Amino acid sequence: MSLTLAPTAAETAYQGFALPHRRQEDWRWTDLRQLLDQAYPPTNGTKASAAEIDRLIATDALAPFARARLVFVDGAFDKARSKLPATGAITLEHLTHGAPPSSARGAYDDPLANLNDRFCRESLRLTVKAGTAEDAPIALVFVSTGHEAVTTCTRAQIIVEKGASATLLETHIGGAGAYVASSLIEASIGDDARLDRVKIAEDGQAAIHLASFHVKLGTQSSLNDFTLTQGAKATRQQTFATFTGQHSNIKVAGAYLLNGKQHADTKITVDHAVPHCTSRELFKCVMDDQARGIFQGKVVVRKDAQKTDGKQSSNALLLSETAEFDAKPELEIFADDVVCGHGATSGSLNDDYLFYLRARGIPEDEAKSLLIAAFASEAFDEVAHEAVREALGELTQGWLINRKPA
Amino acid sequence: MADLDTIERVKDIDVDKYKYGFTTEIESERAPKGLNEDTVRYISARKDEPQWLLDWRLEAYHRWLQMDEPTWARVNYPKIDFQDLYYYSAPKKTPGPKSLDEVDPELLAAYEKLGVPLREREILAGVEGAGTRVAVDAVFDSVSVVTTFKAELAKSGVIFCSFSEAVREHPELVKKYLGSVVPQADNYYAALNSAVFSDGSFVYIPPGTRCPMELSTYFRINEKNTGQFERTLIIADKGAYVSYLEGCTAPTRDENQLHAAVVELIAHDEAEIKYSTVQNWYPGDKEGKGGIYNFVTKRGDCRGHHSKISWTQVETGSAITWKYPSCILRGDYSRGEFYSIAISNGRQQVDSGTKMIHLGKNTSSRIISKGIAAGQSDNTYRGIVSAHRKATNARNFTQCDSLLIGDKCGAHTVPYIEAKTSTAQFEHEATTSKISDDQLFYCQARGLDQEEAVALIVNGFVRDVLQQLPMEFMAETQKLIGISLEGSVG
Amino acid sequence: MLEIKNLHASIEDENRAILNGINLTVNPGEVHAIMGPNGSGKSTLSYILSGREGYDVTDGEVLYKGQDLLEMSPDERAAKGVFLAFQYPIEIPGVATMQFLKVALNSQRKARGEGELSTPDFMRLVKEKSAALNISQEMLKRPVNVGFSGGEKKRAEILQMAVLEPSLCILDETDSGLDIDALKLVAEGVNKLRSPDRAMIVITHYQRLLDYIVPDQVHVLSKGRIVKSGGKELALELERNGYAEYVGDAA
Repeated sequence: MSLTLAPTAAETAYQGFALPHRRQEDWRWTDLRQLLDQAYPPTNGTKASAAEIDRLIATDALAPFARARLVFVDGAFDKARSKLPATGAITLEHLTHGAPPSSARGAYDDPLANLNDRFCRESLRLTVKAGTAEDAPIALVFVSTGHEAVTTCTRAQIIVEKGASATLLETHIGGAGAYVASSLIEASIGDDARLDRVKIAEDGQAAIHLASFHVKLGTQSSLNDFTLTQGAKATRQQTFATFTGQHSNIKVAGAYLLNGKQHADTKITVDHAVPHCTSRELFKCVMDDQARGIFQGKVVVRKDAQKTDGKQSSNALLLSETAEFDAKPELEIFADDVVCGHGATSGSLNDDYLFYLRARGIPEDEAKSLLIAAFASEAFDEVAHEAVREALGELTQGWLINRKPA
Repeated sequence: MADLDTIERVKDIDVDKYKYGFTTEIESERAPKGLNEDTVRYISARKDEPQWLLDWRLEAYHRWLQMDEPTWARVNYPKIDFQDLYYYSAPKKTPGPKSLDEVDPELLAAYEKLGVPLREREILAGVEGAGTRVAVDAVFDSVSVVTTFKAELAKSGVIFCSFSEAVREHPELVKKYLGSVVPQADNYYAALNSAVFSDGSFVYIPPGTRCPMELSTYFRINEKNTGQFERTLIIADKGAYVSYLEGCTAPTRDENQLHAAVVELIAHDEAEIKYSTVQNWYPGDKEGKGGIYNFVTKRGDCRGHHSKISWTQVETGSAITWKYPSCILRGDYSRGEFYSIAISNGRQQVDSGTKMIHLGKNTSSRIISKGIAAGQSDNTYRGIVSAHRKATNARNFTQCDSLLIGDKCGAHTVPYIEAKTSTAQFEHEATTSKISDDQLFYCQARGLDQEEAVALIVNGFVRDVLQQLPMEFMAETQKLIGISLEGSVG
Repeated sequence: MLEIKNLHASIEDENRAILNGINLTVNPGEVHAIMGPNGSGKSTLSYILSGREGYDVTDGEVLYKGQDLLEMSPDERAAKGVFLAFQYPIEIPGVATMQFLKVALNSQRKARGEGELSTPDFMRLVKEKSAALNISQEMLKRPVNVGFSGGEKKRAEILQMAVLEPSLCILDETDSGLDIDALKLVAEGVNKLRSPDRAMIVITHYQRLLDYIVPDQVHVLSKGRIVKSGGKELALELERNGYAEYVGDAA
């Protein structure tokens, strides 16, 4: 059914860009027409004070671990607040005249990337040179001050050349006001190359976070991706990962720590376009109060993509009777010699676990916190960088401390 | 627009002329081609239906006019011209084969393998004289058996009859329950069925009664000519139990391309309904020509507390299967089950699954789905498990496995899970794999040929579901699985 | 140490009585064995003593060191020295055994107003206790009971007991699923903990365990009541004659 809907205030501000809505299958649980409840015109540069910006940047939990740090403020690259890569292994280009889609972009219909295409005015391109191993992480810090109800569009292209490896830390932070943060990351991982990515989505409590991550992998390459979703009023993030070379592997993991009326929807498509690749997805979603978590994972195995090994797992822990979880773990398989599977569970804290801990003398609240942290931590076990992994644990502890006792 | 036109046209028709115009039609064997309000009136008149049922059909028809054909399922077929179909025809009198000698040898070979008795084979193949007229005695040896059978059911107060008969004899029950689970405008095909349904069956089990027999064998033959738009309504009153088996393991040739049936089940307090289906309609030829489009709406309403509805299906036939037998778990402590084997071969397309809608407290559901894709077929499991905010302690377990045979088919899993309460415990697991070469080799090393080996392994794969079938159908179904997969290897 | 007086209990929601008037007094230093056929209420008793939800105490009382035990939450009981070695130890994914032990020990110490144990002191303690039970460091790094064999689980329970040093130990079918070597190891661990100020209740179906953990008193539980009490020779008698004579007339 193709209904023409009258444009909403937000769509008008986007010059008629049609936002996806729940009648579209991929958006059944996240209706952007409803979520973008007012006009969020594209930003014209920051209006926030330097002190305000510095205060926000200081909240970046991953700051201590990066050697190079590239800071965006309200959609614009802020060179002064950045620390550029010092080694010759990485080249950085600042593209200001529009930002063409990179070759990493798949043929997917991605309204979020389209929105970003339309309004993004500058971007960064990071190239990790062939054969170089960049051990120290490179950080991308996206700050939205929330000073005005605007849309900030940011994008970065990451090219990890043949035989190279890199670790990317990505933080999204923001002020208290309402805003829309649109983020697009496009990554190409060359043959024998490796990319580790850790993203922390911690936008302000009135923010709407819309992110797409498009990635293509060459032969014998690997991607190890992790996202912690903790901030924003509403989040929709999408990963489109495509294998273009054989014997490669992907790990995509994530954790939700949501409370209040937060809404977070992650959609992941892993496309096994070639044989002999492995993919693993693991999402651990914790929802308290009236929060709603959504996980949509899809493993596609194309014709002739034999010997594919694809597994997907999403687990929800609902801490309040009014919290909610929706999942759509999908398999689309056109090759026979494959091992694919998914598992999804939803439930509250396990009474048996709780009793066992209490029977050993651990008070109830502490026992609950221990179990919640253990639940979430399974998702960041795969994060290779130890200090970053510990920082994720601390963020979890912080979230638990702020959690109102039931 | 369309319905406005119709209303105008109906106004213009002089009532007497209208009646007259249809008298001759009534004498003829079928309604004119195409679907409009007159077709609906014709069907209703032909069946001597009361006004309320005609009104009900017409309402469905008008709702249907405003609906769109669903496109979300993973099935592809040329657009159906709904004006190019016949919506009513009395049992066919077209000449059939005179004896089994004239029947397609392939079909006969299939019967042979299934072990279908000779007499029954004739009926299934549509041999003249063996057909519907004496259908029942072919199975039961004599008409008197049917009488005994009916008498025995009547003794326990069970009503089991054709839908038309139920409309005549038990209008209050039909009126009360018809459309109460699948409303007229539930979906495109259900609306179509509501407007033009031909006949079907009606079952009512009175309170505290355990239906003394499987309502099955009877239907093995009788179902044959109930037509494209079948309507089934089964009510189990408080504390009642019934097991109902629809369909037939033997392949049936049917010229009707489009089938849009509706099945409604209602289980009151502590009642249980077990509904099993074996569907083996014509799947089309090797190139995908012909074959049945099977667009079925099946839904059970666990209306009472501690009620239970269990669906078991073995789907091996049809060119397209679009079917989601579902349970609305309304009563506290009610339980829904869905056990499915869906086999696709050749160019078949299956999009099937279930919905378990948890509304009441302490409700539970279980889904075991086994999909087997071979040839160039596509086999999709699509299902929803949802727990309403008030469905405290809802439980679901879903196991959804797919097996691929050959590299030209597709197996897909599209589950939706919606938990709106933390007290709901949902567990969903799915796997997709192929028959391991080791297993095949092992079987072959013990002397099985490849096809036998595949059939054996597949039967093991679907064992959990097979066990849910009534005993007498298990063995036949096992053979049927083997036949359905013929030509899938090698 | 423990006084159970006329304890009646049923399973919540089911209204089915499981315990029908249990009387039992356990003094410091004593080891009591409770034996009985399946379904006699042995595990229910252990769960009620440790504070598991899902049971209604319909009559009677339980005093632990003079205090009303049933009023306390499970963690309070643990901090006050009540320890249940589970028949089926719970697997908790994501929580490392070592971390679990440390949080448990320090929670208990905190509740008792004692200072937390430093990490090196704690490590030393666990290392010493685990060596005696043949528990590897690798096992301690694994999540609580996850992937442990039946024997490993039971040994881990005894390790927890050794680290936490409770006053009242309740061992629920600790012998089930153990081969003879593991059984000896576990019994040794238990015997090490016997002391004049510690009491034990050993729940078991078979006499076998009592060859290694020799009880002061043996009680026969049937249909939720203690139908016979005696010395350790009672266990041998049960071994010879079975429970038949106690099953019929208890109701």
